[in-house]
Amino acid sequence: MIDLSEERIAIGATRAPEDLELHNVRSPILRYGLSVVSVVVATAVALVLQHYHFREIELPVLTIAIAFTTWYAGRTPSVLAVLLSSICFAYFFAEPMYSFEIYARDLPYFLVFVAWAILVASFSAVRRRIEESLVQTRDDLKAELERRSHREDEIRKLNEELAKRAVELEATNGDLESFAYSVSHDLRAPLRHVVGYSELLQRQASSLLDERSLRFIGTILDSAKRMGTLIDDLLAFSRIGRAETEKTAVDLERVVREAFAEIEQDTKGRDIVWKIGALPVCYGDRSMLRLVVINLVSNAVKFTRMRTPAEIEIGYVDHNTKEVEVFVRDNGAGFDMRYVNKLFGVFQRLHLPEQFEGTGIGLATVQRIIHRHGGKVRAEGAIDQGATFYFSLPTTHDAAGRTAKAS
Amino acid sequence: MTTLGRILIVEDDPNDVELTLTALMDHNLANEVVVTRDGQQALDYLYCRGEYSTRPSENPAVLLLDLKLPKISGLEVLQQVKTDDHLKMIPVVVLTSSHEERDMMRSYSFGVNAYVVKPVDFHEFVNAVKELGIFWAVINEPPPGSVKK
Repeated sequence: MIDLSEERIAIGATRAPEDLELHNVRSPILRYGLSVVSVVVATAVALVLQHYHFREIELPVLTIAIAFTTWYAGRTPSVLAVLLSSICFAYFFAEPMYSFEIYARDLPYFLVFVAWAILVASFSAVRRRIEESLVQTRDDLKAELERRSHREDEIRKLNEELAKRAVELEATNGDLESFAYSVSHDLRAPLRHVVGYSELLQRQASSLLDERSLRFIGTILDSAKRMGTLIDDLLAFSRIGRAETEKTAVDLERVVREAFAEIEQDTKGRDIVWKIGALPVCYGDRSMLRLVVINLVSNAVKFTRMRTPAEIEIGYVDHNTKEVEVFVRDNGAGFDMRYVNKLFGVFQRLHLPEQFEGTGIGLATVQRIIHRHGGKVRAEGAIDQGATFYFSLPTTHDAAGRTAKAS
Repeated sequence: MTTLGRILIVEDDPNDVELTLTALMDHNLANEVVVTRDGQQALDYLYCRGEYSTRPSENPAVLLLDLKLPKISGLEVLQQVKTDDHLKMIPVVVLTSSHEERDMMRSYSFGVNAYVVKPVDFHEFVNAVKELGIFWAVINEPPPGSVKK
């Protein structure tokens, strides 16, 4: 914007002399000189014409001189010209000749001349003012036009840049996709071999090996299988980023019911007190939101393993009309608030694998899905006093649209 | 087990070949297995040319096809088989590491008869290969003109 206004000033500066040269640049001496010279020339011309017996020529000639002065020298020199031509008129052309006196019978004629001279001067002045303002308007328009084309250029440049970025992004996306593809193809094969051959070894050499060696083989198998799970989780996580979302109104109560059905296996034989409040309808991708709820609830089930009874509460807080914040609270292992920032990172874990199993991808998945919906995630907790996980979601199509555009 | 169809395996990875053969052997399905190591060799076998020019011209009862292969990829082999009048009746089972939807969609659009993702767990892998072998080489009635033992 600063660039533009400077440009505009520069344009004004270069334009001014070219159009307004005759009015502004000349010095006062030149302007008043012009006034004097034009009256003198007009008087001389009138005298010459009179000499050749042209009659009543002085009035128009002097008027032309006045108009000429007004046009080129401005208002005050034109007053001087009126004054001078009145004097010349009285001296050279009004009876008695060569005297400043005027007969009473010529007075009206003289006054009419003066009035005529003033009228011409003021008309010229008005005309000049109008012309000046027209020139000004034209300059403004030109500047505006220039500014517009400048702005259009800038917009075009931005658009080109955007198009370039889009191409780059597409290329990056392509790379990412082929990376994921290669991971799913090539990383899995050696893993399958590790597992396969370890199992073959276990089967064929179990009678020859001592207990310790057999335990080693078991560890190889467990690790390889764990790596398989990690790869699968990572691929699923990357798929969330790439997948298209299909947003509709989603009844969270139904989503929670479906999530329960999915994790039934984990809750079998456990003493869990469920407190499930009424849940709102919000706006989002149904299957992704189900994944969020499954992750949070199965986490709560996992980290309350040592509690009898375990207490898990699901509810929501209504902050404003545009979004709701849903929470999942448990009385389980909790976490140290100092490490709260690490909770939602990929492969970040706050517990040892022998305490609680897992790949550390669940909460990262939750965060990614909620961010894609334009919401936020946060957590509160204390060691051995349970944890609460919150996620916010838009409740209306409108809010969802806005956040999606903003992100 | 009166008749046993011939199984043609197309697999570039020697370990996968061994594991697959072990799985088939465990269930006495390995005696009628031909292994080719890339798409080119597989097509040579199917068209009885090159090193296979002297083999009897019957089609195998089933083709177990990996997708990622040197020279000619599994998808290309599949496309070739399914557009050839003589070969298109051979049941083709894609046996791959790929979970990718793209591969699945393309395989089915070329007319694959089954798509199996190789499980990481060996027991599951053995089971999958066994089921495949039993179904396609024993239970399924292959099209006329296939090798039977």
